[in-house]
Amino acid sequence: MSTVLEQIEQQIAKLSSKAVKKNTGNIRTVADGVAKIDGLSDVMYNEMVQFPGGAIGIALNLEEDEVGCVILGDISQLKEGDEVTTTGRLLSVPVGKELLGRTVDALGNPVDGKGPLGAKEFYPVERIAPGIIVRKGVSQPLFTGIMALDSMIPIGRGQRELIIGDRGTGKTTITIDTIINQAKINKVGLASGDKNFRPVYSIYVAVGQKNSNIVRTLSALEAAGALEFTVVVAAPAADNPANQYIAPYSGAAMGEWFMENGMDALIVYDDLSKHAVAYRQISLILKRPSGREAYPGDVFYLHSRLLERAARLDGKGSLTALPIVETLAGDVSAYIPTNIISITDGQIFLETDLFNQGIRPAVSVGLSVSRVGSAAQIKATKQVGGKLKGELAQFRELAAFAQFGSDLDAKTKAQLERGNRIVELFKQPAFAPQPIELQVAVLFAMQKGLFENVEIQKVSAAAASLKNFFTTRKDALLAEIRTKAALDKDLEARLQAACEEWKSSYSA
Amino acid sequence: MASHAKAAQKFARQLFAMSIVDGAVSADRVAGVLEYVEKHHPANPVMVLKAYRRLVAAEIAKSLAVVEHAGAINDAMLAAIAASMTKKYGRSVTATARPSPALLAGLRVQVGDDIYESSVAGQLAVLAASV
Repeated sequence: MSTVLEQIEQQIAKLSSKAVKKNTGNIRTVADGVAKIDGLSDVMYNEMVQFPGGAIGIALNLEEDEVGCVILGDISQLKEGDEVTTTGRLLSVPVGKELLGRTVDALGNPVDGKGPLGAKEFYPVERIAPGIIVRKGVSQPLFTGIMALDSMIPIGRGQRELIIGDRGTGKTTITIDTIINQAKINKVGLASGDKNFRPVYSIYVAVGQKNSNIVRTLSALEAAGALEFTVVVAAPAADNPANQYIAPYSGAAMGEWFMENGMDALIVYDDLSKHAVAYRQISLILKRPSGREAYPGDVFYLHSRLLERAARLDGKGSLTALPIVETLAGDVSAYIPTNIISITDGQIFLETDLFNQGIRPAVSVGLSVSRVGSAAQIKATKQVGGKLKGELAQFRELAAFAQFGSDLDAKTKAQLERGNRIVELFKQPAFAPQPIELQVAVLFAMQKGLFENVEIQKVSAAAASLKNFFTTRKDALLAEIRTKAALDKDLEARLQAACEEWKSSYSA
Repeated sequence: MASHAKAAQKFARQLFAMSIVDGAVSADRVAGVLEYVEKHHPANPVMVLKAYRRLVAAEIAKSLAVVEHAGAINDAMLAAIAASMTKKYGRSVTATARPSPALLAGLRVQVGDDIYESSVAGQLAVLAASV
């Protein structure tokens, strides 16, 4: 018994002799998620500091005789004079496959009631983006499942493609469709047993969104069976601005884990306008000098350092980013939209007018662009849809002129008719992404003039019938397009025959 | 309001700089500063004096090791702590004892913003945070 006591005493002696150094300060003021602290003379920029009651903060303003911190967590118990200590650590969040299917807050704590995450690894929220040498060009496609995008504005793995438009134009829907499509592709790919198949995992970061919207998104993902391949990071409108500010970086850290470990990931920032607003709020309370639209001077760096973390790494994986930006009255020349347009590798512009005309997704072909271009397309899509963007842009121009005159020559009329048919063909319901092989088949049919005798209003119905025909009766043909990813003469002939077969059986 | 506070802070810093002699706060200079403020009534005198007090208090705290202790502590130990801190910070540090039964056992030494925790209460707090 005495040995046991001796052991305990030795342990006490060992512990007692260890003096732990802490650097401390005291809260001078606390308001709106931001605390001004006296002391903390050793604190470093972006260092995590510990508040009483378990709340943590990040040191953002290091001034001569005070430190400005944003507080993450419950601030209701904090008061003037409370002791704050430095931790010597950067803010980190859990990462790994354990997060798939889960909804977490900006700090990586689960908020879905499904219990602890069980994550084994942690990544710092703020990291330096990969440099030039480790990067590789974007050349692998990331299919959105939306025909208008995959054929005209293709997105590649590792690309940053901005989705921009007014409120209620379907920006979130495009990203949810893309996430659902990744899940569908993952399921097919993993079931095929193909060793070269690379699944794409998704991270959806909701910043400043209504809780009801986040629940709706979660329900859509769950209903489509996509949640198991997705991590949702939620910093809703009711969260304090510090959490909304940090959430995209937390999501990026989670995505980086997949990229660093040889996997591909897709991250959606929904949306960066609200993120900028949260940062503006923090900056104004920290009394940082404000610039244009009252945003602080480093608002460009706020988004550039975030989006630069999306990349395709040589010998590793990739992180594709789809940031969303909301415009006011279609004004793309506002401060935040122009900043993000200049950072990203292209944008998908959604127009309210098109949306109200029933053209959904309401993609404006003229203003949308993918700087990666056809490098991120499979050959089959290039073969059947290579000229579509030009044709559609020409159609929009002609349609604008046609409004002023009634006498049109036959060629112009034919061009307008064809344009209208393409527009109809590209209409797609929400949460119903199409596999790329089906898109190829439909576009092939369009190129071969299969819809020329169909009334414009009935083109959508005809296309739906054709898709149904292919999925139910020509499954093998679709599978071959998927695996070959290009149309050779034999495939083209068989596609032509299938189209003829459908045409003979279809009555409008 | 914000500009007043900034101006007061700036003025307080200037007064504080004048209060330092040989790297330490001089009691005579502080008395002189107080006399000046009383005589000349600068803008926002309360704000200025509060900011000045904070700066002086922070500076004094850098030269004072407050030794909180749960058990007995003798003058030799205080002198050893003062000598050790003087060497560590490169400035003259004096030590003062303050009994604190809440520590349970051990010491807690504070010099300016730095705290050297060697108490049982501190270790229990670390344990509680890690569980």
